[in-house]
Amino acid sequence: MPPEFSVRSDSVDVDQIMSQIRARIREKRGVDYTEEELRTLASVKLEKFLDPTRVRSDLIAHYRIMREPGEASAGPPENYAFDDHLVYGSARGVSGRLVTRIRKLLNPVLKLFINPNPIIQVLHRQSAINEYYDRLAVLNFELIHNLVLEVTRLGIEVKNLKMRVESVSGRLDFSDRRARALESVVQYRPGTGPAAEMTETAAPAPAPGGGQTARREGEAPATGGPIKGDAQRARRRRRRRGRGSAAGQSVPGGTAAEEPTLGGQANDEGADSPDARGGAGGGLPFDGGEAGPAEAPAPGAGEPTDQ
Amino acid sequence: MKLAVVVQRYGLDINGGAELHARYVAEQLARRADVDVLTTCARDYITWRNELPAGESDVNGVRVRRFPVRSERDPDRFGRHSHHVFRSSHSIADELAWLRSEGPASTALIDSIRRNDAGYDFFVFFSFRYYHAFHGIRAAASRSLLVPTAERDGAVGLSIFAPVFRGVRALMYNSFEERAMIQAVSGNDAVPHVVVGVGSDVPARTNPDRFRQKFGITSPFVVYVGRIDENKGCKELFSHFDRYTRSLRGNLLLVLMGNSVLPIPDNPRIRHLGFVGDEDKFDGIAAAEALIMPSYFESLSMVALEAWALGRPVLANGRCDVLQGQCLRSNAGLFYESYEEFLETLALIQSNRRLAFAMGQNGREYFQRHYAWPVIVRKYLDMLDRLRADDQGGAARPPIEPLPGWFARRRTGCRAGDEVVAGLPAGPARRAGRRR
Repeated sequence: MPPEFSVRSDSVDVDQIMSQIRARIREKRGVDYTEEELRTLASVKLEKFLDPTRVRSDLIAHYRIMREPGEASAGPPENYAFDDHLVYGSARGVSGRLVTRIRKLLNPVLKLFINPNPIIQVLHRQSAINEYYDRLAVLNFELIHNLVLEVTRLGIEVKNLKMRVESVSGRLDFSDRRARALESVVQYRPGTGPAAEMTETAAPAPAPGGGQTARREGEAPATGGPIKGDAQRARRRRRRRGRGSAAGQSVPGGTAAEEPTLGGQANDEGADSPDARGGAGGGLPFDGGEAGPAEAPAPGAGEPTDQ
Repeated sequence: MKLAVVVQRYGLDINGGAELHARYVAEQLARRADVDVLTTCARDYITWRNELPAGESDVNGVRVRRFPVRSERDPDRFGRHSHHVFRSSHSIADELAWLRSEGPASTALIDSIRRNDAGYDFFVFFSFRYYHAFHGIRAAASRSLLVPTAERDGAVGLSIFAPVFRGVRALMYNSFEERAMIQAVSGNDAVPHVVVGVGSDVPARTNPDRFRQKFGITSPFVVYVGRIDENKGCKELFSHFDRYTRSLRGNLLLVLMGNSVLPIPDNPRIRHLGFVGDEDKFDGIAAAEALIMPSYFESLSMVALEAWALGRPVLANGRCDVLQGQCLRSNAGLFYESYEEFLETLALIQSNRRLAFAMGQNGREYFQRHYAWPVIVRKYLDMLDRLRADDQGGAARPPIEPLPGWFARRRTGCRAGDEVVAGLPAGPARRAGRRR
């Protein structure tokens, strides 16, 4: 007799391919939840993810109770398969069969008074209708179960997306502040830069004291501002020289107010503020919604920006 | 050796799975033995109406003896009996009533088998669930082989069939999954058996270009062959393919061959060709990227075997144990149980030509090794020789278990068929005799 079947063990291994495909699908679904975990989540604690006032988290439990046998109060009675022999039948064993036979014999007499056939047909049809609704109930159960699963999955996804959005918006704020801080410490050559442009557009006549200004964006031009700025810078240079060896060294994580700058009052005003402390920190790696950047100064935050 | 193949319907225009299976086996065995076919005059399996003339005829060189069916099937009555025996506790008498209502009730056929007037050495019965197989086997159990063609439905769980599975001389199974199911329900492990299946007359050469030209198909495509029916999983296939076309750009088409009892979706990437001849079918399969087999219940998919014979991979519904088992054993097909898996597997077959080719080669080899006609015929003949040797050796065999007596038959103690089947082992058999 030829041999029965054997499994080929060539390079193609369908079992392994299917395992890989299933692993990839799990990965794509993401959020570190397996199908099994999702089912558990869906059947236990939906209020964790959903608004409990709007969704019945125990829907599945109710359905289960209805489907469990022996729950007479909860579920419908079992469908009754109706047969034309049933109306004549008896459940009394051997004597019952005799009774059935006699009833059938007397059937023509019965038909002189009433016609049982329409009743039999109607009851049979009712049995079929019951069966139809039984099937429908099973489908509804499946549908609701799947919907709850999907809603749960979406709830989890929304929660994760919210966290990502928060994180991204925190990072955006951080970058924005960093950009402003960097802009404020840039020293422009005389007659160039945004301040000079603003002055040119606002007043065609050249400002007294030349153009060595670098105002913070949005700040109103103050009368004599450039002169004041120069004096402050000079003061700061003197202070720095006085500190001797400390001059010019940056303190990782230290406040930028102590640092030498050439950019005017930016550090005086902003260095102690959380914004500036977060300053030029180089940015946190995105970790999907952990602590915001302002609370976690990176090494080198507020480093000297001398140019 | 004189053999009788006994089947519910028979003819060139009858393409039901078991009937076609029986015809192929009869025609192949007729080359090596004296084979008659015993069947009914029915053509339609819904009514079993006598449409063909009773008596002898010749179909493709095989003598066919037809017997009339005593009464047509009453679908309403059959439905009620089915509901009763599959869904609730019942008696043996109820099951026998169900069998009578199912048909085809041909007492003339059963009488002929009992008399064995033509002197057959063995009867090969097809489809355990019908009247002819149950009563025919009980009439000639000592000469009976059974090709059950069993699917995972409530009929397998009915009490009347277990003695039949234990009482035949031998069983010719279609798959390991079928064998495991029947052995679990009847405990007939000791009965001689073999997993054999069925072959197919696949042409040695095909012409994919001719198919493409004839039907104007230039894009790559996957193909489904068979009746387009919800019961065959086609509705789910349409839904999955529709989503697939919306998810992935490309020009992959789904080509459908076969008569439809389901509306075809209005999707430009789904082409329905209707019923096609064998030449178009084989050329179409050869031209396709893969064959899709979305059915949930199959005892053995012949079209999947044909695709493998032509070196094409198969994408099957993994919820059908038999199809999943065939894919795993052959390493020639992938399977899906959800849309995500459908998407991934189809995209993989389409994009990874090497893999598709390798699976096709595996399929070709699998078919040649297990389903080529010489292999199939050899298995049948070996089994028949073995049984004849047992007969000549005078080995004593217990007769088939008789039906219970009048009172016991009417005692309500049989479990619902569906309930019995639900308790049977499930899942694909990765190797001979093993289940997941």
